[in-house]
Amino acid sequence: MSQTEQLSYIAGQAADARLNLELETDGMVINLGPQHPATHGTLRLVARLEGEEVVEAEPIMGYMHRGYEKLAEVRTYLQVTALINRIDWLGSFANEVPFILGAEQLMEIEVPDRARWIRTLLFELSRIANISLFLGEMGLQLGAVTPAFFAFRDREFVLNQIEQVTGGRFHPNFDRIGGLKDDLPAGWIAETKSVMKRMRTFCDEIEDLLVGNEVFETRMRGIGVIPAEVGLSYGLSGANIRASGVDWDLRRDEPVGLVYDQLDWKVWTHPDGDSFARYWVRVQEVREATKMVEQILDGLPSGPIMAKVPRIIKVPKGEAYIQTENPLGAMGYYIISKGDLTPFRLKIRSASFNNISITPWLLKGTLVPDIITILGSLYFILGDIDR
Amino acid sequence: MVAQNIAFGVMVGIMGLSAIRVVTTRNVVHAALYLMVVLATVAGLFLLLGAEFLGITQVLIYIGAVIVLFLFGIMLTGARIGKEKLLSHRNKVPALMIATVITAVSIYAAIDYFGADKLPEETRTSTKEVANSLFSQYIIPFEVASVLLLAALIGAIVIARREPHEENLTK
Amino acid sequence: MIFAVDLLLRDSIGLVEVGIVLLKVGVAFVLLLLGVMLMIWFERKFISDMQNRIGPNLAGPFGIFQTLADGIKLFFKEDQVPAKADPLVFRLAPYLALVPAFLIFTVVPIGGDFSGGGDGTVTWWGRQTFLQVADPPIGFLIILAMSSMAVYGVLLAGWASGSKYPLFSAIRVSAQMVSYEVALGLSFASVLLMSKSFSTHDIVLSQGGYEWNLWMTGLVPFFIFLLAVTAEMNRPPFDLVEAEQELVGGFHTEYSSLRFALFYLAEFMNVITMSGVIVTLFLGGPEGPEPFPLPGWLWGIFWFCLKMVVFLAVFVWFRATLPRFRYDQLMNLGWKLLIPLSLVWFLALATLQVSDNRDWNDFIVLASIFGGFVLVGLLLKRALKTAAHNPDPDLSAPATAENNVEENAGRNTENNFDIENLKEKDLGGKN
Repeated sequence: MSQTEQLSYIAGQAADARLNLELETDGMVINLGPQHPATHGTLRLVARLEGEEVVEAEPIMGYMHRGYEKLAEVRTYLQVTALINRIDWLGSFANEVPFILGAEQLMEIEVPDRARWIRTLLFELSRIANISLFLGEMGLQLGAVTPAFFAFRDREFVLNQIEQVTGGRFHPNFDRIGGLKDDLPAGWIAETKSVMKRMRTFCDEIEDLLVGNEVFETRMRGIGVIPAEVGLSYGLSGANIRASGVDWDLRRDEPVGLVYDQLDWKVWTHPDGDSFARYWVRVQEVREATKMVEQILDGLPSGPIMAKVPRIIKVPKGEAYIQTENPLGAMGYYIISKGDLTPFRLKIRSASFNNISITPWLLKGTLVPDIITILGSLYFILGDIDR
Repeated sequence: MVAQNIAFGVMVGIMGLSAIRVVTTRNVVHAALYLMVVLATVAGLFLLLGAEFLGITQVLIYIGAVIVLFLFGIMLTGARIGKEKLLSHRNKVPALMIATVITAVSIYAAIDYFGADKLPEETRTSTKEVANSLFSQYIIPFEVASVLLLAALIGAIVIARREPHEENLTK
Repeated sequence: MIFAVDLLLRDSIGLVEVGIVLLKVGVAFVLLLLGVMLMIWFERKFISDMQNRIGPNLAGPFGIFQTLADGIKLFFKEDQVPAKADPLVFRLAPYLALVPAFLIFTVVPIGGDFSGGGDGTVTWWGRQTFLQVADPPIGFLIILAMSSMAVYGVLLAGWASGSKYPLFSAIRVSAQMVSYEVALGLSFASVLLMSKSFSTHDIVLSQGGYEWNLWMTGLVPFFIFLLAVTAEMNRPPFDLVEAEQELVGGFHTEYSSLRFALFYLAEFMNVITMSGVIVTLFLGGPEGPEPFPLPGWLWGIFWFCLKMVVFLAVFVWFRATLPRFRYDQLMNLGWKLLIPLSLVWFLALATLQVSDNRDWNDFIVLASIFGGFVLVGLLLKRALKTAAHNPDPDLSAPATAENNVEENAGRNTENNFDIENLKEKDLGGKN
């Protein structure tokens, strides 16, 4: 065992001991996870309770840490996309885009229009696939099982469309530096339009089943209220911060390389900042995304889908930070290149990591059932937390 | 009457054993469960005497509510599994003496009052009769008991719902 | 008043009578187990239809033997008692959950010859009897007592597991079931007022001629009863006790093998018996039209089963559609809505009965009842307002879905925060 390993082991033990010391009091300490039905994934939440009330809660991450940042350093740029696909596994394509955009910025490549449009299209499709699952899952968290199955059913249509283009349901690995791997298949556009109509029906269904349900509303309204300034100070992003009334959407505010500025759409916010607001904002986001997809399908320019890039990709020396509005929130890649085949350093800013960091503040004083509501409504994906 | 006598004997035996276990067991939850058995056998004795309403009310009130609330309270205050170290039987000699005296007095009172009286063959009491006597002959005790319960209820609420500023005052 | 003892046992008791009683007990036992088997299959199949799934379809035709297969599998599983558990109570608890469900079913009349104003007796081997295992004069109270006994299984299982989540479940269940017992009893009392007897057989008889308690008591006790029963059975949306998202498996987290199967059995048996109780109390039991002649008692059983299946479907439907309540919301619903409402309704029904007997003026009576309702409602509202530490008027009046959309959309435009200003104004001071 090397000295660094020993040191890190000791540091880990000390951290554990400190945690135990902090939490060791008379109240009941429960471990939600790493294997618990509510923490879809391997998040561990140590909560100290007084009766059913949470006195202190601390999320413990890292049970699924895969070291992508380090692994990326020994992989070529083309290979890295296969890794980062697995960060937010429900909206995989969206993970690739900011990384590729960053590399392109360093290489100063002008991407053809059609490729940019199709990128945006697939980006929004993966957003729909991702968030529509959340819309059903939230019901499941509260004990209503049926919406989850509806979500799985309708998400499948979106995944089919993604699969027809990219060849992969979950991990497309489709984005290339300078463009895309392939063009859209024949007959795909009409089919996607009908799927978008279906997804809008799904949104209506969800609004009928859950949003208009009194029990759902009493479980969600006023639960886990995040004031705008607290949310910002914790670095929340995406629908979580928009539900607190902060009108901040990277698609509109920093449309790097994607074509959002040419589409007619709206950023939804909600002033309440509670779980219900987060849910409501996401429902609207799926609706908005379906509309965007339709607009893209109508306005798709013709032309090549790949720019001229060298066969062996060497990114020139430099640094780039690109972030986009992913389904879970702002996701950014900080690429440092020394002119090699591989990135010298890749820092991934994933949305869920920041979104989940507010839980100790947010869970204080809530009840045990509200832990589930709040964790569910913050909507994190474990791969996105641990990378 | 042989069947009744056998049933009486069995039930009294169970009751006695459970009653002893209530005070000798070293686990609070077990004690509550033995108490439940005692109350259930009391209900059985009522049934045996033909007082069906009384018997089932015993089950309904004591087993269905009172013991459940006991257990609720015990569990909220952290009942341990296994033997409780803190349960002491220090005062068992005076307790035994008091129990003996009470038992003796009640046995004496029963024998003194009923003597060699025999129960009538048909001892069934209907719910209607119970209700009639409760709301005519025993109306005052009944009402007094309900007022007492109300007072207890309000007292409990007052204790449980202390206003925040009062807490600050006590601090 | 004649005691409503079963006709069978009124005269001398011989071998035939004992045989009939044993037969009834055996048939009830087998019927209930069979019913549970079918009920579990029905629930899984019905719920999978609602959720775009296929559900069990391999064991037997339409997967009807799925429950049997599961039961056999569980039977052969390793039976574990956790090291930290209280072994005696841990082993006892499943039986305490199961037995009350059986006992309730004994007083439910599942059939009987009610055709042509009959009193529900059937004649077997020259003996007249009812189609229920027993008809004690206090049958009504037995239902209440046994449903309050049902709490023990869950309570003790949760405590004896020696684990945190089950203990939570145990604490929740004791409070929940004791609370809803009150609403249950009060809505029961309204039925009692109409039927004037504790005997379940007499309750069925008193609803003859389609004077079902469902409308004779004015619907409200029925709905209160339905809700309270759902809470008593720990079925969704009141299944806080085994809320898997919160408490993993609740009280049966640590249970395995046959004991787990017993809990499962008890849950579904409760669903069946409670549906039977609802049918008996509110829907006239086995009463129904007879389109073509059959032996009278057969029609009774048919109608009883049909009515019961409706309620079984309702319970499954609840489970498929409704999210779970939160613990404090459940308590609020029970104590602040169901109990006052059932109490007031009971008083109103009693007043109507008395006024009917004494020939009072209907109009004045109705007006005073209405006035009483309003008065009680206002008093209650005032009391709740005084009692509440943090009165929250928003939660009590949830807006409808359409309003929300408009309202939120409206707020959306005007209430957007300016992120740049916020950063300077609020974050600067805090950090």
